[in-house]
Amino acid sequence: MNGKRKSYLKSWMISSPALILIGLIVVFPILYTFYISLTNMNTYHWFNYDIIGLKNYARAVTVFDSGFLEALGNTILWTAVNMAMQLVIAFVIANFLNVPGLRLRNVYKTILMFPWAMPGYVSILLWKTGMFNSQFGLLTQWMEQLSGQMIRWLQNDVSAFICCTVVNLWLALPFMIMIMDGGLKSIDRSYYESATLDGAGPIRQAVSITVPCLKPVIGPSVMITLFTTFKQFDVIYLMTQQVGAQTGAHIHTVITYAYENAFITNNYGYSSAISVMIFLMLIVFAQLTGRRKEADA
Amino acid sequence: MTARKFVRKAVKHTALNAFFIVCCFLALLPILYALSVSFDAKGSLLSSSFSFIPEEATLKHYIAVFTEEPVLQWFGNTMLLTAATVVLAMCCAVPAAYVFSRRRFPGRSTVLRSLLLLHSFPSILSMFAIYKLMSTMGMINTHIGLIVIYAGTMGVFAMLNMKGYFDAIPLEIEEAGKIDGCTDFRIVTGIVMPLARPSLIVTMVMIVNFVWNEYIFSINFLTGSDRMTLASGLYSLQATETSGSWPVFAAASLVVSFPVLVIFFLSQKYMVSGLTAGGVKG
Repeated sequence: MNGKRKSYLKSWMISSPALILIGLIVVFPILYTFYISLTNMNTYHWFNYDIIGLKNYARAVTVFDSGFLEALGNTILWTAVNMAMQLVIAFVIANFLNVPGLRLRNVYKTILMFPWAMPGYVSILLWKTGMFNSQFGLLTQWMEQLSGQMIRWLQNDVSAFICCTVVNLWLALPFMIMIMDGGLKSIDRSYYESATLDGAGPIRQAVSITVPCLKPVIGPSVMITLFTTFKQFDVIYLMTQQVGAQTGAHIHTVITYAYENAFITNNYGYSSAISVMIFLMLIVFAQLTGRRKEADA
Repeated sequence: MTARKFVRKAVKHTALNAFFIVCCFLALLPILYALSVSFDAKGSLLSSSFSFIPEEATLKHYIAVFTEEPVLQWFGNTMLLTAATVVLAMCCAVPAAYVFSRRRFPGRSTVLRSLLLLHSFPSILSMFAIYKLMSTMGMINTHIGLIVIYAGTMGVFAMLNMKGYFDAIPLEIEEAGKIDGCTDFRIVTGIVMPLARPSLIVTMVMIVNFVWNEYIFSINFLTGSDRMTLASGLYSLQATETSGSWPVFAAASLVVSFPVLVIFFLSQKYMVSGLTAGGVKG
């Protein structure tokens, strides 16, 4: 018994540096965020804040023009649009990549991986300045030559949303293409051969063979991408709302909304309440999608 | 009949290749444009006749990056932060991951389950709390503060990913070592670590990537351009709607991206095995 206890102690000892580090940097701030969310902490009440209970939560959920519900709606729209487009486009490209007899397949594949290999924030800034900037943006110049008018891409909400979606697709598609490409390779060719013999056309084959066979293979990666898209901060923040360089569009997702309330308008208590709610949503998501299965073993 | 089939096949392949050339062009578009602007001597970016190949090439924007901006200093800072974060995170996470994979003790599954939850938590949401914590400890505007934050944030990923990979190494190999008279330490360093190499590499590459690409903590926690990292420096360099030098920014972007691209394509062969076996991705 004593030996067993000693071995337990040793296990905890060896893992303690990691657990202390994670406790300090990840767990404690989350608990502390929860505590701040119950207070009215802001620039004027930096040290002398009061506990105000659940008022911050009530303000976010019940006051309609607080902006939180709008941000939540935007986030859901953003996630749905991005996921749908990613899946469809990646499916088409991956299928085309696997057409027999395509000689330059590996060249194309390597080039298509570039957006994934580039540092994300650099790509976003290059898109922002190089493509959409109202003076030297390439797309602005092209549009000007085509239609004769100057377009401020990031100025209004709808076009900024579309631009952000384009950039996000550009960033995220390589991973999805790679996953789908791997999935397609795992499907037995003989299914297609017998389907061809039975007279099924290419579309029928894609719907009845490729999609059902692909689903279990790409499932986990799609779930991860869903989470990443929901949590996406960089694209929207860097494209439209950097400090001192706001472009005029007001599209907030829940994460940029929480960030703005903490670091721009300094409503720390309110922002923390938003953060806690986002975290709870992520936990519910994670439980629903059964990611906890991975914990055993 | 065969001739017609041949023609149909040729048309199909031409169309397919055209499709992929367009796709590749789109995938490279911002990079190509930045490349062309950064080498362009004439600043034709405001003229109406624009082509991707500059009429007159120059290196002056690249020289400006290295001489007019403290890029080398930022590079040094980033290297320091990256190396220290990798060492700290790996030294903490790898032994812990090994223990959680091999031993059974009370509290183990609770910790593992919490780690999975924490892994889905974006650290930006608790950034203000981290800021307050760091300012109480006097670690705002220091590199040590950022190293601890980065190592803690990536520690969750590193532990889960390594644990998943250790799980996949059969126990029999270690038992064989034990029979041959190896000490525990020797088993871990001599047998387990070499086997876990792909996962070690991938975990380190992910940490390097994370630190290299992290800007939001460094712009909020560091002030003064001599402390900045490449990411926050580049952020401060970027051309805004009306000001700033876009050619210099383009050159700087490409300089910063280059090491990342090299690491990505070098480590690509390990990526699939090192990540999928671990069960936790990106």
